[in-house]
Amino acid sequence: MSRVRDGASAGGLRCENIQVAFGGLKAVAGVSYDFKPGHLYGLIGPNGAGKTTLMNALSGHATLSGGRVFLDNRDITRLSVHARTRAGLGRSFQITKIFSGMSVLENLQLGAFAHRYRVQPFWMPASRFRDVREDAEKVLEQVGLTKLAHTSADYLSHGDQRALEVGLTLLGDPRVLLLDEPLAGVGHERLDQAIDLIRRIVAGRTVLLIEHNMDVVMQVSHEIVVMVQGQLLASGSPDEVRANPAVRAAYLGEGE
Amino acid sequence: MTTSHLGRLAMAAIIAAMILVPVIQTSEESLNLVSLILIWALFAIGFDLIFGMAGMLSFGHAALFGSGGYALTLLVTKAGVGFVPALGAAGMVGAVMAFGLSIFALRVSGLFFSLLTLALAQLVYILASTKLRSHTGGLDGIPGVPRPELFGIDFYDNRNYYYFLIVVFIVGIAVMALLRASPFGKALQAVQANDVRAAQIGYNVQRLRQCAFMISGFYAGVSGALLASLMFYISPQMLHWTTSGDVLIMTVLGGKGTLLGPILGVAVFEVLKEKLSQYTQHWYGILGLIFILCTIFLPNGIAGLFARKAAGRPGDAP
Ligand SMILES: Nc1ncnc2c1ncn2[C@@H]1O[C@H](COP(=O)(O)OP(=O)(O)OP(=O)(O)O)[C@@H](O)[C@H]1O
Ligand SMILES: [Mg+2]
Repeated sequence: MSRVRDGASAGGLRCENIQVAFGGLKAVAGVSYDFKPGHLYGLIGPNGAGKTTLMNALSGHATLSGGRVFLDNRDITRLSVHARTRAGLGRSFQITKIFSGMSVLENLQLGAFAHRYRVQPFWMPASRFRDVREDAEKVLEQVGLTKLAHTSADYLSHGDQRALEVGLTLLGDPRVLLLDEPLAGVGHERLDQAIDLIRRIVAGRTVLLIEHNMDVVMQVSHEIVVMVQGQLLASGSPDEVRANPAVRAAYLGEGE
Repeated sequence: MTTSHLGRLAMAAIIAAMILVPVIQTSEESLNLVSLILIWALFAIGFDLIFGMAGMLSFGHAALFGSGGYALTLLVTKAGVGFVPALGAAGMVGAVMAFGLSIFALRVSGLFFSLLTLALAQLVYILASTKLRSHTGGLDGIPGVPRPELFGIDFYDNRNYYYFLIVVFIVGIAVMALLRASPFGKALQAVQANDVRAAQIGYNVQRLRQCAFMISGFYAGVSGALLASLMFYISPQMLHWTTSGDVLIMTVLGGKGTLLGPILGVAVFEVLKEKLSQYTQHWYGILGLIFILCTIFLPNGIAGLFARKAAGRPGDAP
Protein backbone atom coordinates (compact mmCIF):
# COMPACT_ATOMS: atom_id res chain seq x y z
CA MET A 1 0.00 0.00 0.00
CA SER A 2 1.41 3.33 -0.97
CA ARG A 3 0.93 6.40 1.14
CA VAL A 4 1.40 8.56 -1.93
CA ARG A 5 -2.07 9.01 -3.35
CA ASP A 6 -1.74 11.78 -5.86
CA GLY A 7 1.85 12.69 -6.32
CA ALA A 8 1.09 14.58 -9.54
CA SER A 9 -0.51 17.51 -7.74
CA ALA A 10 2.14 17.68 -5.04
CA GLY A 11 5.06 20.03 -5.52
CA GLY A 12 8.78 19.43 -5.49
CA LEU A 13 10.94 21.43 -3.10
CA ARG A 14 14.66 21.68 -3.66
CA CYS A 15 17.25 23.54 -1.68
CA GLU A 16 20.81 24.27 -2.70
CA ASN A 17 23.50 25.02 -0.16
CA ILE A 18 21.20 26.84 2.29
CA GLN A 19 22.99 28.88 4.92
CA VAL A 20 21.58 30.85 7.81
CA ALA A 21 23.78 32.55 10.38
CA PHE A 22 22.93 34.29 13.64
CA GLY A 23 25.94 36.44 14.33
CA GLY A 24 28.81 33.99 14.43
CA LEU A 25 26.57 30.93 14.82
CA LYS A 26 25.92 29.01 11.64
CA ALA A 27 22.50 27.56 12.46
CA VAL A 28 22.22 26.11 8.96
CA ALA A 29 25.60 25.53 7.39
CA GLY A 30 25.05 24.55 3.78
CA VAL A 31 22.13 22.19 3.34
CA SER A 32 21.21 20.80 -0.08
CA TYR A 33 18.36 18.41 -0.62
CA ASP A 34 15.75 17.49 -3.18
CA PHE A 35 12.33 16.82 -1.66
CA LYS A 36 10.44 14.83 -4.29
CA PRO A 37 6.76 15.44 -5.02
CA GLY A 38 4.33 13.42 -2.93
CA HIS A 39 6.87 12.06 -0.47
CA LEU A 40 6.87 12.51 3.28
CA TYR A 41 10.24 13.42 4.76
CA GLY A 42 10.90 13.12 8.46
CA LEU A 43 13.46 15.67 9.56
CA ILE A 44 15.15 14.63 12.79
CA GLY A 45 18.08 15.80 14.83
CA PRO A 46 19.02 16.82 18.35
CA ASN A 47 17.82 20.08 19.93
CA GLY A 48 19.47 23.09 18.33
CA ALA A 49 20.47 21.15 15.20
CA GLY A 50 18.91 23.85 13.00
CA LYS A 51 15.74 22.05 11.91
CA THR A 52 13.39 24.94 12.62
CA THR A 53 15.84 27.40 11.11
CA LEU A 54 16.02 25.33 7.92
CA MET A 55 12.24 25.37 7.78
CA ASN A 56 12.30 29.15 8.29
CA ALA A 57 14.67 29.40 5.36
CA LEU A 58 12.35 27.34 3.17
CA SER A 59 9.21 29.28 4.13
CA GLY A 60 10.82 32.73 3.93
CA HIS A 61 11.02 33.68 7.61
CA ALA A 62 14.80 33.54 7.82
CA THR A 63 17.27 35.69 5.94
CA LEU A 64 19.66 33.48 4.00
CA SER A 65 23.35 34.19 4.04
CA GLY A 66 23.66 31.90 1.06
CA GLY A 67 21.94 29.30 -1.08
CA ARG A 68 18.76 28.99 -3.08
CA VAL A 69 15.28 27.47 -2.73
CA PHE A 70 13.23 26.07 -5.61
CA LEU A 71 9.56 25.16 -5.67
CA ASP A 72 8.78 23.06 -8.75
CA ASN A 73 12.01 24.31 -10.30
CA ARG A 74 10.97 27.90 -9.81
CA ASP A 75 13.48 29.93 -7.81
CA ILE A 76 11.59 31.26 -4.79
CA THR A 77 14.64 32.38 -2.82
CA ARG A 78 13.70 36.04 -3.05
CA LEU A 79 9.96 35.64 -2.51
CA SER A 80 8.41 36.92 0.69
CA VAL A 81 6.58 34.64 3.12
CA HIS A 82 3.11 35.42 1.76
CA ALA A 83 4.20 35.00 -1.84
CA ARG A 84 5.58 31.53 -1.07
CA THR A 85 2.31 30.67 0.63
CA ARG A 86 0.44 31.74 -2.48
CA ALA A 87 2.81 29.62 -4.55
CA GLY A 88 1.60 26.58 -2.60
CA LEU A 89 3.82 26.29 0.46
CA GLY A 90 2.07 25.71 3.80
CA ARG A 91 3.75 25.87 7.19
CA SER A 92 2.93 25.10 10.80
CA PHE A 93 5.00 26.29 13.75
CA GLN A 94 6.72 24.58 16.65
CA ILE A 95 5.43 27.33 18.94
CA THR A 96 1.70 27.67 18.30
CA LYS A 97 0.83 30.77 16.29
CA ILE A 98 -2.92 31.18 16.22
CA PHE A 99 -5.00 34.35 16.30
CA SER A 100 -5.88 34.93 19.92
CA GLY A 101 -9.05 36.81 20.81
CA MET A 102 -10.89 35.16 17.92
CA SER A 103 -12.95 32.00 17.67
CA VAL A 104 -11.69 28.84 16.00
CA LEU A 105 -13.93 29.44 12.99
CA GLU A 106 -12.75 33.04 12.70
CA ASN A 107 -9.16 31.85 12.77
CA LEU A 108 -9.80 29.54 9.84
CA GLN A 109 -11.86 32.11 7.96
CA LEU A 110 -8.90 34.49 8.04
CA GLY A 111 -6.88 31.81 6.35
CA ALA A 112 -9.57 31.39 3.72
CA PHE A 113 -9.76 35.14 3.06
CA ALA A 114 -6.00 35.40 2.75
CA HIS A 115 -5.99 32.66 0.13
CA ARG A 116 -9.02 33.69 -1.86
CA TYR A 117 -8.32 37.40 -2.19
CA ARG A 118 -5.14 39.12 -3.25
CA VAL A 119 -6.77 42.46 -2.40
CA GLN A 120 -8.91 42.03 0.69
CA PRO A 121 -12.50 43.15 -0.02
CA PHE A 122 -13.39 46.25 2.00
CA TRP A 123 -16.84 46.97 0.62
CA MET A 124 -18.80 44.14 2.24
CA PRO A 125 -19.00 42.68 5.75
CA ALA A 126 -16.89 39.56 6.17
CA SER A 127 -19.93 37.63 7.39
CA ARG A 128 -21.41 37.77 3.87
CA PHE A 129 -18.74 35.60 2.30
CA ARG A 130 -20.34 32.17 2.09
CA ASP A 131 -17.52 30.51 0.15
CA VAL A 132 -15.01 31.55 2.78
CA ARG A 133 -17.15 30.14 5.53
CA GLU A 134 -17.45 26.88 3.64
CA ASP A 135 -13.68 26.67 3.17
CA ALA A 136 -13.24 27.21 6.89
CA GLU A 137 -15.88 24.68 7.84
CA LYS A 138 -14.28 22.06 5.64
CA VAL A 139 -10.97 22.43 7.45
CA LEU A 140 -12.80 22.60 10.76
CA GLU A 141 -14.13 19.13 10.07
CA GLN A 142 -10.80 17.82 8.80
CA VAL A 143 -9.06 18.75 12.03
CA GLY A 144 -11.96 17.66 14.21
CA LEU A 145 -12.82 21.02 15.75
CA THR A 146 -16.38 21.42 14.45
CA LYS A 147 -17.84 21.29 17.95
CA LEU A 148 -15.49 24.03 19.09
CA ALA A 149 -16.10 26.34 16.10
CA HIS A 150 -17.35 29.25 18.19
CA THR A 151 -14.98 28.83 21.10
CA SER A 152 -12.29 31.45 21.49
CA ALA A 153 -8.93 30.06 20.39
CA ASP A 154 -7.51 31.20 23.74
CA TYR A 155 -9.67 28.74 25.66
CA LEU A 156 -8.77 25.65 23.63
CA SER A 157 -6.87 22.82 25.27
CA HIS A 158 -3.27 22.49 24.14
CA GLY A 159 -4.11 19.54 21.92
CA ASP A 160 -6.91 21.46 20.23
CA GLN A 161 -4.65 24.46 19.74
CA ARG A 162 -2.15 22.19 17.97
CA ALA A 163 -4.99 20.90 15.78
CA LEU A 164 -5.95 24.48 14.92
CA GLU A 165 -2.31 25.28 14.20
CA VAL A 166 -2.27 22.43 11.67
CA GLY A 167 -5.68 23.46 10.32
CA LEU A 168 -4.40 26.94 9.54
CA THR A 169 -1.85 25.44 7.17
CA LEU A 170 -4.48 23.59 5.16
CA LEU A 171 -6.42 26.55 3.77
CA GLY A 172 -5.49 27.12 0.18
CA ASP A 173 -4.70 23.42 -0.13
CA PRO A 174 -0.88 23.69 -0.19
CA ARG A 175 1.08 21.30 -2.38
CA VAL A 176 4.06 21.42 -0.05
CA LEU A 177 3.56 21.24 3.69
CA LEU A 178 6.18 22.05 6.30
CA LEU A 179 5.16 20.78 9.73
CA ASP A 180 7.32 21.78 12.68
CA GLU A 181 6.66 19.34 15.55
CA PRO A 182 2.89 19.22 15.15
CA LEU A 183 2.75 16.72 18.01
CA ALA A 184 4.81 18.79 20.43
CA GLY A 185 3.17 18.81 23.84
CA VAL A 186 0.22 16.71 22.74
CA GLY A 187 -0.70 14.46 25.66
CA HIS A 188 -0.70 10.65 25.57
CA GLU A 189 -4.47 10.39 25.49
CA ARG A 190 -4.63 12.46 22.29
CA LEU A 191 -1.53 11.20 20.55
CA ASP A 192 -3.31 8.63 18.36
CA GLN A 193 -5.88 11.16 17.28
CA ALA A 194 -3.14 13.67 16.43
CA ILE A 195 -1.13 11.10 14.45
CA ASP A 196 -4.29 10.19 12.62
CA LEU A 197 -4.79 13.82 11.67
CA ILE A 198 -1.25 14.07 10.33
CA ARG A 199 -1.73 10.92 8.27
CA ARG A 200 -4.92 12.26 6.75
CA ILE A 201 -3.64 15.67 5.76
CA VAL A 202 -0.32 14.62 4.27
CA ALA A 203 -1.91 12.55 1.53
CA GLY A 204 -1.20 13.98 -1.90
CA ARG A 205 1.28 16.56 -0.65
CA THR A 206 5.01 16.86 -0.35
CA VAL A 207 5.68 17.00 3.37
CA LEU A 208 8.62 17.89 5.55
CA LEU A 209 7.86 16.80 9.10
CA ILE A 210 10.02 17.68 12.10
CA GLU A 211 9.26 15.28 14.92
CA HIS A 212 11.07 14.12 18.03
CA ASN A 213 8.90 11.05 18.61
CA MET A 214 10.97 8.38 16.84
CA ASP A 215 8.21 5.77 16.68
CA VAL A 216 5.88 8.18 14.96
CA VAL A 217 8.37 9.65 12.53
CA MET A 218 9.77 6.26 11.50
CA GLN A 219 6.24 5.02 10.96
CA VAL A 220 4.85 7.79 8.78
CA SER A 221 7.90 8.90 6.77
CA HIS A 222 9.02 7.62 3.38
CA GLU A 223 12.42 9.01 4.01
CA ILE A 224 14.32 10.29 7.02
CA VAL A 225 16.70 13.23 6.89
CA VAL A 226 19.06 13.62 9.84
CA MET A 227 20.43 17.03 10.72
CA VAL A 228 23.21 17.71 13.21
CA GLN A 229 24.87 21.06 13.90
CA GLY A 230 23.42 22.78 10.88
CA GLN A 231 24.36 20.06 8.42
CA LEU A 232 22.80 16.94 6.97
CA LEU A 233 24.35 13.88 8.55
CA ALA A 234 22.44 11.18 6.70
CA SER A 235 19.30 10.41 4.79
CA GLY A 236 17.48 7.36 3.58
CA SER A 237 14.63 5.01 4.37
CA PRO A 238 13.68 4.65 8.03
CA ASP A 239 15.42 1.29 8.20
CA GLU A 240 18.60 2.55 6.59
CA VAL A 241 18.78 5.52 8.92
CA ARG A 242 18.08 3.40 11.96
CA ALA A 243 20.96 1.13 10.99
CA ASN A 244 23.37 3.97 10.16
CA PRO A 245 26.18 3.90 12.75
CA ALA A 246 26.93 7.61 12.41
CA VAL A 247 23.31 8.45 13.16
CA ARG A 248 23.23 6.10 16.09
CA ALA A 249 26.34 7.70 17.50
CA ALA A 250 25.32 11.28 16.94
CA TYR A 251 21.68 11.10 17.73
CA LEU A 252 19.73 7.94 18.23
CA GLY A 253 22.26 6.58 20.68
CA GLU A 254 21.55 9.24 23.22
CA GLY A 255 18.57 8.48 25.38
CA GLU A 256 16.79 6.17 22.93
CA MET B 1 -17.51 38.82 14.24
CA THR B 2 -20.57 40.92 15.11
CA THR B 3 -20.62 44.10 17.13
CA SER B 4 -22.71 43.68 20.21
CA HIS B 5 -26.27 44.95 20.05
CA LEU B 6 -25.56 47.15 23.02
CA GLY B 7 -22.79 48.86 21.09
CA ARG B 8 -25.06 49.50 18.14
CA LEU B 9 -27.79 50.87 20.38
CA ALA B 10 -25.32 53.17 22.07
CA MET B 11 -24.12 54.34 18.65
CA ALA B 12 -27.66 55.12 17.51
CA ALA B 13 -28.35 56.94 20.78
CA ILE B 14 -25.21 59.05 20.39
CA ILE B 15 -26.07 60.06 16.85
CA ALA B 16 -29.66 60.87 17.79
CA ALA B 17 -28.45 62.93 20.75
CA MET B 18 -26.07 64.84 18.52
CA ILE B 19 -28.76 65.71 16.04
CA LEU B 20 -30.93 66.95 18.91
CA VAL B 21 -28.24 69.08 20.52
CA PRO B 22 -28.86 72.26 18.51
CA VAL B 23 -32.59 71.92 19.13
CA ILE B 24 -32.32 71.56 22.90
CA GLN B 25 -29.09 73.36 23.65
CA THR B 26 -29.11 76.87 22.33
CA SER B 27 -25.90 78.33 23.70
CA GLU B 28 -23.02 78.96 21.32
CA GLU B 29 -20.57 77.34 23.74
CA SER B 30 -22.28 73.97 23.83
CA LEU B 31 -22.72 74.04 20.06
CA ASN B 32 -19.02 74.70 19.72
CA LEU B 33 -18.26 71.88 22.13
CA VAL B 34 -20.25 69.24 20.28
CA SER B 35 -18.81 70.46 16.98
CA LEU B 36 -15.34 69.90 18.39
CA ILE B 37 -16.39 66.45 19.58
CA LEU B 38 -17.64 65.50 16.11
CA ILE B 39 -14.41 66.59 14.46
CA TRP B 40 -12.08 64.96 16.96
CA ALA B 41 -14.22 61.81 16.95
CA LEU B 42 -13.70 61.54 13.19
CA PHE B 43 -9.96 61.94 13.76
CA ALA B 44 -10.00 59.35 16.56
CA ILE B 45 -11.90 56.63 14.70
CA GLY B 46 -9.40 57.03 11.86
CA PHE B 47 -6.55 56.80 14.36
CA ASP B 48 -8.05 53.66 15.87
CA LEU B 49 -8.05 51.90 12.50
CA ILE B 50 -4.29 51.57 12.80
CA PHE B 51 -3.99 51.66 16.59
CA GLY B 52 -6.89 49.49 17.76
CA MET B 53 -7.30 47.31 14.65
CA ALA B 54 -3.79 46.89 13.25
CA GLY B 55 -1.87 47.45 16.49
CA MET B 56 0.39 50.26 15.27
CA LEU B 57 0.96 53.16 17.66
CA SER B 58 1.56 56.23 15.51
CA PHE B 59 2.86 59.40 17.12
CA GLY B 60 2.79 61.19 13.81
CA HIS B 61 -0.91 61.78 13.36
CA ALA B 62 -0.55 65.48 14.17
CA ALA B 63 1.28 65.88 10.86
CA LEU B 64 -1.58 64.27 8.94
CA PHE B 65 -4.21 66.26 10.83
CA GLY B 66 -2.44 69.59 10.38
CA SER B 67 -1.56 68.98 6.74
CA GLY B 68 -5.25 68.48 6.02
CA GLY B 69 -6.00 71.81 7.65
CA TYR B 70 -3.32 73.63 5.66
CA ALA B 71 -4.34 71.89 2.44
CA LEU B 72 -7.94 73.05 2.72
CA THR B 73 -6.96 76.56 3.74
CA LEU B 74 -4.48 77.06 0.91
CA LEU B 75 -6.63 75.38 -1.72
CA VAL B 76 -9.68 77.51 -0.94
CA THR B 77 -8.02 80.84 -0.21
CA LYS B 78 -5.06 80.76 -2.62
CA ALA B 79 -6.21 78.46 -5.42
CA GLY B 80 -9.94 79.24 -5.37
CA VAL B 81 -11.00 75.59 -5.13
CA GLY B 82 -14.52 74.93 -3.79
CA PHE B 83 -14.83 73.90 -0.15
CA VAL B 84 -16.11 70.36 -0.68
CA PRO B 85 -13.52 69.35 -3.31
CA ALA B 86 -10.88 70.97 -1.11
CA LEU B 87 -12.11 68.90 1.84
CA GLY B 88 -11.67 65.75 -0.25
CA ALA B 89 -8.24 66.98 -1.30
CA ALA B 90 -7.35 67.58 2.37
CA GLY B 91 -8.14 63.91 2.99
CA MET B 92 -5.96 62.93 0.03
CA VAL B 93 -3.12 65.07 1.35
CA GLY B 94 -3.47 63.29 4.71
CA ALA B 95 -3.33 59.93 2.92
CA VAL B 96 -0.31 60.92 0.82
CA MET B 97 1.50 62.21 3.92
CA ALA B 98 0.67 58.91 5.63
CA PHE B 99 2.11 57.06 2.64
CA GLY B 100 5.27 59.14 2.92
CA LEU B 101 5.57 58.44 6.63
CA SER B 102 4.90 54.74 6.12
CA ILE B 103 7.74 54.35 3.62
CA PHE B 104 10.18 55.07 6.42
CA ALA B 105 8.27 54.06 9.53
CA LEU B 106 7.06 50.64 8.34
CA ARG B 107 10.64 49.46 8.00
CA VAL B 108 10.72 49.21 11.77
CA SER B 109 8.15 48.00 14.26
CA GLY B 110 6.94 48.50 17.81
CA LEU B 111 8.51 51.35 19.74
CA PHE B 112 10.75 52.29 16.83
CA PHE B 113 7.72 52.78 14.62
CA SER B 114 6.23 55.17 17.19
CA LEU B 115 9.47 57.10 17.57
CA LEU B 116 10.05 57.37 13.85
CA THR B 117 6.53 58.68 13.18
CA LEU B 118 7.04 61.18 16.02
CA ALA B 119 10.34 62.39 14.57
CA LEU B 120 8.98 62.73 11.04
CA ALA B 121 5.91 64.59 12.28
CA GLN B 122 8.07 67.00 14.28
CA LEU B 123 9.99 67.63 11.07
CA VAL B 124 6.74 68.66 9.40
CA TYR B 125 5.94 70.90 12.38
CA ILE B 126 9.30 72.64 12.13
CA LEU B 127 9.01 73.01 8.35
CA ALA B 128 5.56 74.59 8.68
CA SER B 129 6.61 77.01 11.39
CA THR B 130 9.87 78.13 9.80
CA LYS B 131 10.93 77.12 6.31
CA LEU B 132 7.50 77.28 4.72
CA ARG B 133 6.57 80.49 6.51
CA SER B 134 5.63 82.27 3.29
CA HIS B 135 2.84 79.74 2.70
CA THR B 136 1.85 78.78 6.23
CA GLY B 137 2.18 82.09 8.01
CA GLY B 138 4.77 80.57 10.34
CA LEU B 139 3.91 80.43 14.01
CA ASP B 140 1.24 83.12 13.54
CA GLY B 141 -0.79 80.74 11.42
CA ILE B 142 -3.43 81.74 8.88
CA PRO B 143 -6.60 83.48 10.01
CA GLY B 144 -9.80 83.51 8.00
CA VAL B 145 -10.08 79.82 7.09
CA PRO B 146 -13.38 79.65 5.18
CA ARG B 147 -16.55 77.62 5.69
CA PRO B 148 -18.45 75.69 2.99
CA GLU B 149 -20.59 77.48 0.44
CA LEU B 150 -23.41 75.17 -0.60
CA PHE B 151 -27.06 75.39 -1.55
CA GLY B 152 -27.12 79.03 -0.45
CA ILE B 153 -26.94 77.96 3.21
CA ASP B 154 -25.00 80.25 5.52
CA PHE B 155 -22.43 77.92 7.08
CA TYR B 156 -20.84 80.84 8.89
CA ASP B 157 -23.77 80.30 11.24
CA ASN B 158 -22.39 77.76 13.72
CA ARG B 159 -25.68 75.87 13.84
CA ASN B 160 -25.68 75.27 10.10
CA TYR B 161 -22.02 74.31 10.11
CA TYR B 162 -22.85 71.87 12.87
CA TYR B 163 -25.31 70.11 10.57
CA PHE B 164 -22.67 70.00 7.87
CA LEU B 165 -20.35 68.31 10.39
CA ILE B 166 -23.01 65.77 11.32
CA VAL B 167 -23.40 64.73 7.70
CA VAL B 168 -19.64 64.27 7.24
CA PHE B 169 -19.45 62.48 10.58
CA ILE B 170 -22.21 60.00 9.77
CA VAL B 171 -20.66 59.21 6.39
CA GLY B 172 -17.30 58.76 8.13
CA ILE B 173 -18.76 56.45 10.77
CA ALA B 174 -20.66 54.37 8.23
CA VAL B 175 -17.62 53.89 6.01
CA MET B 176 -15.47 53.00 9.01
CA ALA B 177 -18.04 50.52 10.33
CA LEU B 178 -18.01 48.78 6.95
CA LEU B 179 -14.21 48.80 6.73
CA ARG B 180 -13.92 47.27 10.17
CA ALA B 181 -16.44 44.53 9.47
CA SER B 182 -15.00 43.75 6.03
CA PRO B 183 -12.37 41.14 5.20
CA PHE B 184 -9.90 44.04 5.06
CA GLY B 185 -10.72 44.96 8.67
CA LYS B 186 -10.46 41.33 9.75
CA ALA B 187 -7.09 41.09 8.04
CA LEU B 188 -5.86 44.07 10.08
CA GLN B 189 -6.98 42.33 13.25
CA ALA B 190 -5.13 39.23 12.12
CA VAL B 191 -1.98 41.29 11.60
CA GLN B 192 -2.32 42.70 15.10
CA ALA B 193 -3.04 39.31 16.70
CA ASN B 194 -0.09 37.54 15.09
CA ASP B 195 1.79 39.09 12.19
CA VAL B 196 3.98 36.05 11.56
CA ARG B 197 0.97 33.78 11.18
CA ALA B 198 -0.83 36.43 9.13
CA ALA B 199 2.05 36.46 6.63
CA GLN B 200 2.24 32.66 6.72
CA ILE B 201 -1.40 32.21 5.69
CA GLY B 202 -0.83 34.53 2.76
CA TYR B 203 -1.58 38.09 3.86
CA ASN B 204 0.70 40.80 2.54
CA VAL B 205 1.23 42.26 6.00
CA GLN B 206 3.19 45.36 5.01
CA ARG B 207 0.72 46.31 2.31
CA LEU B 208 -2.21 45.91 4.70
CA ARG B 209 -0.47 48.11 7.25
CA GLN B 210 0.27 50.70 4.61
CA CYS B 211 -3.32 50.77 3.33
CA ALA B 212 -4.66 51.15 6.87
CA PHE B 213 -2.20 53.95 7.55
CA MET B 214 -3.30 55.82 4.42
CA ILE B 215 -7.01 55.47 5.22
CA SER B 216 -6.24 56.67 8.72
CA GLY B 217 -4.38 59.59 7.14
CA PHE B 218 -7.41 60.42 5.01
CA TYR B 219 -9.60 60.64 8.11
CA ALA B 220 -6.97 62.78 9.83
CA GLY B 221 -6.72 65.13 6.85
CA VAL B 222 -10.47 65.63 6.59
CA SER B 223 -10.93 66.19 10.31
CA GLY B 224 -8.00 68.60 10.43
CA ALA B 225 -9.58 70.60 7.62
CA LEU B 226 -12.94 70.64 9.41
CA LEU B 227 -11.30 71.87 12.61
CA ALA B 228 -9.51 74.72 10.83
CA SER B 229 -12.80 75.69 9.26
CA LEU B 230 -14.64 75.53 12.59
CA MET B 231 -12.11 77.85 14.22
CA PHE B 232 -11.58 80.04 11.12
CA TYR B 233 -7.91 79.62 11.89
CA ILE B 234 -4.96 77.29 11.46
CA SER B 235 -1.53 77.36 13.06
CA PRO B 236 1.36 74.90 13.50
CA GLN B 237 -0.18 74.09 16.88
CA MET B 238 -2.30 71.50 15.03
CA LEU B 239 0.92 69.88 13.82
CA HIS B 240 2.45 69.80 17.28
CA TRP B 241 3.13 66.38 18.81
CA THR B 242 0.65 67.08 21.63
CA THR B 243 -2.10 66.69 19.02
CA SER B 244 -0.91 63.12 18.46
CA GLY B 245 -0.83 62.62 22.22
CA ASP B 246 -4.37 63.93 22.64
CA VAL B 247 -5.87 61.61 20.05
CA LEU B 248 -4.06 58.69 21.66
CA ILE B 249 -5.37 59.59 25.13
CA MET B 250 -8.91 60.00 23.78
CA THR B 251 -8.79 56.63 22.04
CA VAL B 252 -7.39 54.72 25.02
CA LEU B 253 -9.79 56.48 27.39
CA GLY B 254 -12.80 55.50 25.32
CA GLY B 255 -11.59 52.03 24.38
CA LYS B 256 -9.33 51.12 21.50
CA GLY B 257 -10.31 48.54 18.95
CA THR B 258 -13.97 49.50 18.96
CA LEU B 259 -15.88 51.99 16.83
CA LEU B 260 -17.78 53.40 19.78
CA GLY B 261 -14.79 53.74 22.10
CA PRO B 262 -12.87 56.58 20.45
CA ILE B 263 -16.08 58.60 20.09
CA LEU B 264 -16.88 58.22 23.79
CA GLY B 265 -13.28 59.00 24.66
CA VAL B 266 -13.35 62.21 22.63
CA ALA B 267 -16.64 63.28 24.22
CA VAL B 268 -15.39 62.64 27.77
CA PHE B 269 -12.06 64.33 27.06
CA GLU B 270 -13.57 67.44 25.52
CA VAL B 271 -16.30 67.84 28.14
CA LEU B 272 -13.83 67.39 31.00
CA LYS B 273 -11.41 69.80 29.37
CA GLU B 274 -14.18 72.36 28.95
CA LYS B 275 -15.41 72.04 32.54
CA LEU B 276 -12.03 71.68 34.24
CA SER B 277 -10.43 74.56 32.42
CA GLN B 278 -13.08 76.86 33.88
CA TYR B 279 -11.85 76.10 37.40
CA THR B 280 -8.13 75.53 37.11
CA GLN B 281 -5.28 76.02 34.70
CA HIS B 282 -3.95 72.62 35.71
CA TRP B 283 -6.72 70.89 33.78
CA TYR B 284 -4.28 69.01 31.58
CA GLY B 285 -2.63 67.45 34.62
CA ILE B 286 -6.00 66.40 36.05
CA LEU B 287 -6.95 64.89 32.68
CA GLY B 288 -3.66 63.02 32.74
CA LEU B 289 -4.47 61.64 36.18
CA ILE B 290 -7.94 60.54 35.05
CA PHE B 291 -6.32 58.91 32.05
CA ILE B 292 -3.90 56.97 34.24
CA LEU B 293 -6.68 55.83 36.57
CA CYS B 294 -8.72 54.72 33.59
CA THR B 295 -5.92 52.64 32.11
CA ILE B 296 -5.59 50.90 35.49
CA PHE B 297 -9.25 50.32 36.28
CA LEU B 298 -10.76 50.25 32.78
CA PRO B 299 -8.21 48.49 30.58
CA ASN B 300 -10.73 48.31 27.76
CA GLY B 301 -11.77 51.93 28.17
CA ILE B 302 -15.22 53.29 28.70
CA ALA B 303 -16.60 51.24 25.81
CA GLY B 304 -15.35 48.13 27.63
CA LEU B 305 -18.26 48.64 30.02
CA PHE B 306 -20.69 48.16 27.14
CA ALA B 307 -19.12 45.56 24.89
CA ARG B 308 -19.17 41.83 25.34
CA LYS B 309 -16.56 39.60 23.81
CA ALA B 310 -17.71 38.09 20.54
CA ALA B 311 -16.03 34.74 20.97
CA GLY B 312 -17.10 32.71 23.98
CA ARG B 313 -15.56 30.39 26.48
CA PRO B 314 -16.19 26.69 26.05
CA GLY B 315 -19.82 25.91 26.72
CA ASP B 316 -21.09 29.36 25.76
CA ALA B 317 -23.93 29.38 23.30
CA PRO B 318 -22.55 30.20 19.84
N1 LIG C 1 16.45 34.02 16.10
C1 LIG C 1 17.58 33.44 16.54
N2 LIG C 1 18.61 34.20 16.97
C2 LIG C 1 19.76 33.63 17.40
N3 LIG C 1 19.98 32.31 17.41
C3 LIG C 1 18.99 31.51 17.00
C4 LIG C 1 17.74 32.03 16.54
N4 LIG C 1 16.95 31.00 16.17
C5 LIG C 1 17.66 29.89 16.42
N5 LIG C 1 18.88 30.18 16.90
C6 LIG C 1 19.94 29.21 17.24
O1 LIG C 1 20.16 28.43 16.08
C7 LIG C 1 20.37 27.07 16.43
C8 LIG C 1 19.35 26.20 15.72
O2 LIG C 1 18.06 26.46 16.27
P1 LIG C 1 16.76 25.74 15.74
O3 LIG C 1 15.62 26.34 16.46
O4 LIG C 1 16.75 25.78 14.27
O5 LIG C 1 16.99 24.24 16.25
P2 LIG C 1 16.00 23.01 16.15
O6 LIG C 1 16.74 21.94 15.45
O7 LIG C 1 14.69 23.40 15.62
O8 LIG C 1 15.88 22.62 17.70
P3 LIG C 1 14.61 22.04 18.51
O9 LIG C 1 14.60 20.59 18.28
O10 LIG C 1 14.94 22.38 19.92
O11 LIG C 1 13.40 22.75 18.02
C9 LIG C 1 20.28 27.00 17.95
O12 LIG C 1 21.58 27.04 18.47
C10 LIG C 1 19.52 28.24 18.31
O13 LIG C 1 19.89 28.69 19.58
MG1 LIG D 1 12.78 23.49 16.32
